[in-house]
Amino acid sequence: MTTSQPVQFTKTKSQKIRQLKNTGNFLLNIPILLIILVPLIYTLSISLVNNDEVYRTLLFPHSIQFGNYINAFTNPSYSFLKYIRNSFIVSLSVMLCQMITCSMAAFAFVFLDFKASKVLFLMVLATMMVPGEATIIANYLTVARWGWTNSLHVLIVPYMTSAMGIFLMRQNFMTFPKELKEASSLDGCSNWRFLLTIAVPLARPALGALGAYVFLNTWNQYMWPLLTTDSDAFRTVQVGISMLYDIDAQSMGLMMAGVIIVIVPSLSIFIFMNKQLINGLMAGAVKG
Amino acid sequence: MRKGVPSTGPKKTFYETIEPYIFLLPALAVFIVFLYYPFARTIYLSTWVTDALGQPKKFVGLDNYTVRLFGKPEFWTMIGATFKFVLVVAFGGLIVGLITSLLTYNRYFGSGFAAAIYAMPLAIASAAASMAFRMIYHPTGGLINNLLGTQINWLGGAYQFGSIAAVTIWLQSGINFIFISAGLKGVNADMYESAAIDGANYWQRLFHITLPAISPTLFFQIIINIINAFQSFSQVKLLTNESPSSSTNLIVYAIWHDAFRAQRFETAAARSVVLFIIILIITLIQFSAEKRTVSYQ
Repeated sequence: MTTSQPVQFTKTKSQKIRQLKNTGNFLLNIPILLIILVPLIYTLSISLVNNDEVYRTLLFPHSIQFGNYINAFTNPSYSFLKYIRNSFIVSLSVMLCQMITCSMAAFAFVFLDFKASKVLFLMVLATMMVPGEATIIANYLTVARWGWTNSLHVLIVPYMTSAMGIFLMRQNFMTFPKELKEASSLDGCSNWRFLLTIAVPLARPALGALGAYVFLNTWNQYMWPLLTTDSDAFRTVQVGISMLYDIDAQSMGLMMAGVIIVIVPSLSIFIFMNKQLINGLMAGAVKG
Repeated sequence: MRKGVPSTGPKKTFYETIEPYIFLLPALAVFIVFLYYPFARTIYLSTWVTDALGQPKKFVGLDNYTVRLFGKPEFWTMIGATFKFVLVVAFGGLIVGLITSLLTYNRYFGSGFAAAIYAMPLAIASAAASMAFRMIYHPTGGLINNLLGTQINWLGGAYQFGSIAAVTIWLQSGINFIFISAGLKGVNADMYESAAIDGANYWQRLFHITLPAISPTLFFQIIINIINAFQSFSQVKLLTNESPSSSTNLIVYAIWHDAFRAQRFETAAARSVVLFIIILIITLIQFSAEKRTVSYQ
């Protein structure tokens, strides 16, 4: 009895020290955690208070009301539901198109033998060197000449493929064992069937990464929709919320409700598809 | 690159010859129409005077560059402001990313939560964040002024530059955290053990082992930050209410303003070429540095 007690004592003491160190470690995080979180908490608070409390709210609301959200969705002068619908259509379309075009292109580069393979792959890589903002004016002039402005396809078609997506899918296809394609070719499996029934199912993780990353990027897009759409019918969420200021600069509460509404889908992807998103991001940033 | 199956037959059919190009057609068509063509068109337009619809009217050679851009002090003010902004944001983002990565390097209670929050800004759109920060910076009743008990116009005058840079660093902090964290996880743990035996303290280990070991990551990340910061647009447009001061009139905003507020598509095109050349130079620096430090298999 006497021998076991000191052992017990030192054990709890070391546990306590570890716990203390744990807490100390976590406390060090608090300043930056606050800097990241407070803007979002504050935005949420402002969206939930009465208009006359907006400028008096410190961080948390005194009383909560959902008028701004009801207003955003039901007041006919704000077409929020339409913006959300447009953004979903555009983001999902761009995502699906990129999954298809990038898989097809990557398939050709990895599994097919053709003369211009090297040159065309360099052509794809070279597109990574051109920042989108450097071609945006000429692109705008092109689509304006075609009469494409104020449509949903103007937001989709220019983004139907990406070098990053082709690169990501190519890296994935290159990990397939060589025999897979050889064996299926001997079995008389056409290239299309191989891509559809073997390569795509095997590349699901890469497609998930591409999808999450592309959806988020498209959802968050601002400059291209701003240039090419100026009617409510085709406006996307990011342009939509930034326009609220021009409609009524006084209703900050409504504006903050708008910010929360458009952030929810982005954050949902971040939370529920975190791994895929980060894999896509890692692949995307390689291009710089 | 691994090549596909050697064709079993002695000769490829016509379809087999063109099949690869069919697979590539959708992607290449989009690249040609929306990347290669507008790229060439931008260079072309930058040597013409255009009408209000962007149609070339009169060939002027390099006048758009030499006379309308380089010859004007405003252009150099814009370039100077852009470089200053880019450097502040690139290093600011890097420092925040480094601190947050170091803070969550060890596992302890709450470290996973902190890591998730540190990464979160990467999901948030710059337009949405700009609208939120408009309220936070509000001159009379915004969060910062309420906390400080002041009535400072954060989005005007001398504060504008810092306020917009801070939002941009906030937005960039997530991606910095992700990449620097990944770099830290790749540091060989054996180096720490031998250093601990030698009696090195935390700061000695940080400056003599950790930072040198992740210096390629930090370099790569700073290049990404620089390229991203050059492309800043929505913060400038939304937080300055379309009237940036000389310190916040950044290059992409200037391109947009030339084209859509001044109807000067030719100078917008010339500025776009300047932006492209700057980004190209930075990318080439990155490539040559990577060739020296990273070995490809």
